[in-house]
Amino acid sequence: MTRPSRVGRVVGIAGAAALTLGIVELSQAPYRPYPEGSARLRLAWSARPERIETCRRQTEEELAKWPPHMRQLVVCEGTSARYRLEVRRDGALLLADTVRGAGARHDRPLYLLREQELSAGTMRLEIRFTRIDHPSPDTALADLEPGAAAQVRQEQERREAAQRARRREEAIPPALVLDSVVRLEPRVVLLVTYDRTRQALVIRSRPAP
Amino acid sequence: MSPVIRPRGLEERCRRGLAAADALVNRLVGWRFNPLYQSGTIVIALLLILLVTGIWLLLFYRVGAPWASVARITEDPWLGNWVRGVHRYASDAAVIAAVVHLLRVFAQARSWGPRVLAWVSGVLLLGMLLVSGWTGFVMVWDVFGQLLALEGARLLDALPILSEPVGRTFAGDRVIPDAFFFVNLFLHVVVPLGMGLGLWIHVSRVARPTLLPPRGLLWTLTALLIGAALLRPLAMAPEASPFALPAEVPLDWFYAFWLPLGRGMPEAAAWGLAAGVTLALLLAPRWTRRGADDRAPASEVNPDLCTGCTQCSLDCPWEAITMVSRTDGRAELLAQVDPKLCVSCGICAGSCAPMGIGPPGRTGRDQLAAMRAWMAAPDRRAAEPVVIACEYGPGGGAERAGRDGRLQASGTALYRVPCAGNLHTSVIEYAIRAGAGGVLVLACPPRDCLNREGPRWLNERVYHDREAELQARVDRRRVAIGHAGLGDRSAARETIAEFRDRIQALEAIAAEPEVVLDTECEPVPVEEKT
Repeated sequence: MTRPSRVGRVVGIAGAAALTLGIVELSQAPYRPYPEGSARLRLAWSARPERIETCRRQTEEELAKWPPHMRQLVVCEGTSARYRLEVRRDGALLLADTVRGAGARHDRPLYLLREQELSAGTMRLEIRFTRIDHPSPDTALADLEPGAAAQVRQEQERREAAQRARRREEAIPPALVLDSVVRLEPRVVLLVTYDRTRQALVIRSRPAP
Repeated sequence: MSPVIRPRGLEERCRRGLAAADALVNRLVGWRFNPLYQSGTIVIALLLILLVTGIWLLLFYRVGAPWASVARITEDPWLGNWVRGVHRYASDAAVIAAVVHLLRVFAQARSWGPRVLAWVSGVLLLGMLLVSGWTGFVMVWDVFGQLLALEGARLLDALPILSEPVGRTFAGDRVIPDAFFFVNLFLHVVVPLGMGLGLWIHVSRVARPTLLPPRGLLWTLTALLIGAALLRPLAMAPEASPFALPAEVPLDWFYAFWLPLGRGMPEAAAWGLAAGVTLALLLAPRWTRRGADDRAPASEVNPDLCTGCTQCSLDCPWEAITMVSRTDGRAELLAQVDPKLCVSCGICAGSCAPMGIGPPGRTGRDQLAAMRAWMAAPDRRAAEPVVIACEYGPGGGAERAGRDGRLQASGTALYRVPCAGNLHTSVIEYAIRAGAGGVLVLACPPRDCLNREGPRWLNERVYHDREAELQARVDRRRVAIGHAGLGDRSAARETIAEFRDRIQALEAIAAEPEVVLDTECEPVPVEEKT
């Protein structure tokens, strides 16, 4: 069997070194993921959407089917409201979408994450997040029966109504609007998020504390 | 039905390219150190290097401060930066070696039949290697890790699995929880552990799997990685920030080859492409498998000839032969072939001294009959050396190209066999006794043997008295074993020419008139001591 020559070996080792060099270079090759001078608008928030539901009083027969501690006088069925998202730059529509609660039945909180590439510069930014569907008024407190038994029921009914009201308060407001003139530097991400405390859309350009 | 499974279509094109590359590297460094033959074992060696360096790096990694902790490792020139460099470059080299291994197996038409488990597990292992690499880059949490995480999140969020988009984790409206980096680290540890199990499954169908490359190659590989890590130390890319778009990212093309293309694709198209490629690879055995007409039948045992010596079950590279008790009253065991496991490699035919086992038409007896007929052909010349060449390797290709004579040096006769490892040593003996000047068996390089252990067993049968050995009465000066790959035409010709010259020299010595000492030398009187 012929053996490789000394020159062949040297060439082989040089080839291996060249291959290693190739690996090293391709392991950290410079790549420009974003166009020169671009910036980005990021909309990111999560909130509880308002419930669009119809409430009705359960009949005595229906209540009797439940164990005493699970009896709920008023049951509400429905879905979460849909919201319209619109983003305008200097009046021109950049983004328009309908946002719903997450989950197969849209009964989970809504999670919003949209990114829009923008050219850097000063601009008027207008973001609207408005409810599309309208909830019906809570009429479940009507038709209360008089008497001592009714007193207990009334208490429970008030409690349930308070719970429903709290859920409504926790939900995102029917309309959120951010209208602001911003200066967007190149290679900067402008984050627009929902501030629960202020119940408003806010702009951030640095990490949350 | 052919005893040799011939690559076809894309397989054939890949094989031609591979044969040319093999031949070039063989010429440069010799087949013993040809890394292309060792692609599978190199992957394992690299995984071991990754394991050792990874454990070291893990000691300094902090989930609560990922970038800062890696930056601290990188700043340490003694036991930090170069270890990280070796870890990175080894992971890159592992991808290359795994892809070469996959191509090699595909090109050699070894992706179907009883080898399906090895193929499918191999494809999954490659996927796990990539996943493991991605989690490793995210661990650093530099701009490249962030880019990978963002793109991965974008693709994941397109699937209707999680109600909260993963991408929101990196949006910047809240601090990325430590739990994310913990889960990522967990995956970076668990996936490689899973690869250990996958490797075990990958080689579970073969007997005596070779797990590591030759020592010389292993040390060369390690030295190259350390050298690269020292000479081209890894730089620390800027820390990831959700509020900045990096101008430049140090992209690792071995793991993020898909990123430039994938970023511009809609999620559905990206998933479709990824699923298509994965499915095509996983289902390759379906479209590469041969029909019954192209498939060589499994080995069969002749119970009358089987002596129960167990050699065939020891030699079988696929553990397809078991020894069972006989039912005909004879005390010894009987070999039994499992046709589902048998790939019809025919190694057992060469290992059975009484020639009682082998694929139909390729048992020792069949080989002897074929050689007898060939030697009796009128164009055989007396004392002409015979070259027995493996059709998978040096004896292949020429037939397809119609260039039979190119391999054959003048003054030798070429005889092809399906695999040199199938060759019964009686065939060698018969050729010499029937008038051949000598027999050169030209086998594939041992690590390139399609039947895994053919050249090894042949060598042991000829030179080391392994069962079914070449008889002691055969003049070993007239027998040689050479190795050459499919594309090693010139090397094969040189080996044949060397052997022919050797045999001609032997013939010349044999042709010299016998020396009679009395006529050649003057007798010297011996003085008798008184």
